[in-house]
Amino acid sequence: MENKIKITSFDEGIVIKISGDLDSSKTFLYKEKIHEHMRQIGPRYIIWDFKDLTFLDSAGIGLILGRYNEVERVNGMMGLIGLNTYSRKVIAISGLFSLMKEYASLKAFIKEEKIEQ
Amino acid sequence: MINEFELKFKAVLANELLARNAVMSFLSPLNPSYETLCEFKTIISEGVSNAIIHGYKFDNSKDVYLKVIVYENDVEISIRDFGVGIDDVNEARMPHYTSRPDLERAGMGLTIIESLSDSLHISSIPGTGVKLIIRKKLLPQYINE
Ligand SMILES: Nc1ncnc2c1ncn2[C@@H]1O[C@H](COP(=O)(O)OP(=O)(O)OP(=O)(O)O)[C@@H](O)[C@H]1O
Ligand SMILES: [Mg+2]
Repeated sequence: MENKIKITSFDEGIVIKISGDLDSSKTFLYKEKIHEHMRQIGPRYIIWDFKDLTFLDSAGIGLILGRYNEVERVNGMMGLIGLNTYSRKVIAISGLFSLMKEYASLKAFIKEEKIEQ
Repeated sequence: MINEFELKFKAVLANELLARNAVMSFLSPLNPSYETLCEFKTIISEGVSNAIIHGYKFDNSKDVYLKVIVYENDVEISIRDFGVGIDDVNEARMPHYTSRPDLERAGMGLTIIESLSDSLHISSIPGTGVKLIIRKKLLPQYINE
């Protein structure tokens, strides 16, 4: 699987889809790319799509937490989609489920959290 | 002991992939589940990134040592650096503790290793580096003789 990041927007939010391995050699570049989009859009919601993620460790957790603190400042929210048993486990160990929830899809997030369209 | 390998590589972040792939190739013949293999990869990356980032502070002239031993029922992983070492191991093991919040580190690496493995032993003498000894079960029914 090729390592890449794809960022798309919806209403007041962005979906960050990371494919392949997310490790310490990727986080700096990915943070820059995410910030570029955040500057343009000023999102309140960030959804991480990990459907095609093949590797996760604490470096990725740091990337998620860093962005969480940024949307938190604008009273925003963060959600996770496309988790598999492995990524869910690493995320659970790191305590992220006390800060954000997992959703079946972007649609489910918008519906469950009553995001205005 | 059933099998064993050792690897020495420079303290370059890109070598995390080398270490992960080496362990993956080494353990694959034992038929671990996809999930177990992923957990081994995460454990390796946590130990190796700590050696590079904290132990050697990105000095790429330094060497990181990885050794993996397969026993009947489990696997032992040692990850060694000869960097700055850890002053207070108990503090380092605490969830969320990091000495590098400036690098957006979460302080979760050692906690993740601990949770994904069966035991984590850390020995460190400040100034002479860190050695991690990790044991993780690899159930015998997966082993294909
Ligand atoms: N090999 C090492 N050499 C020197 N110090 C280390 C080493 N490994 C860990 N430490 C110290 O222990 C702390 C905790 O390590 P841990 O892996 O849990 O978190 P982190 O590396 O800071 O962040 P994260 O792993 O979440 O990216 C580090 O911040 C560092 O101070
Ligand atoms: Mg770490």
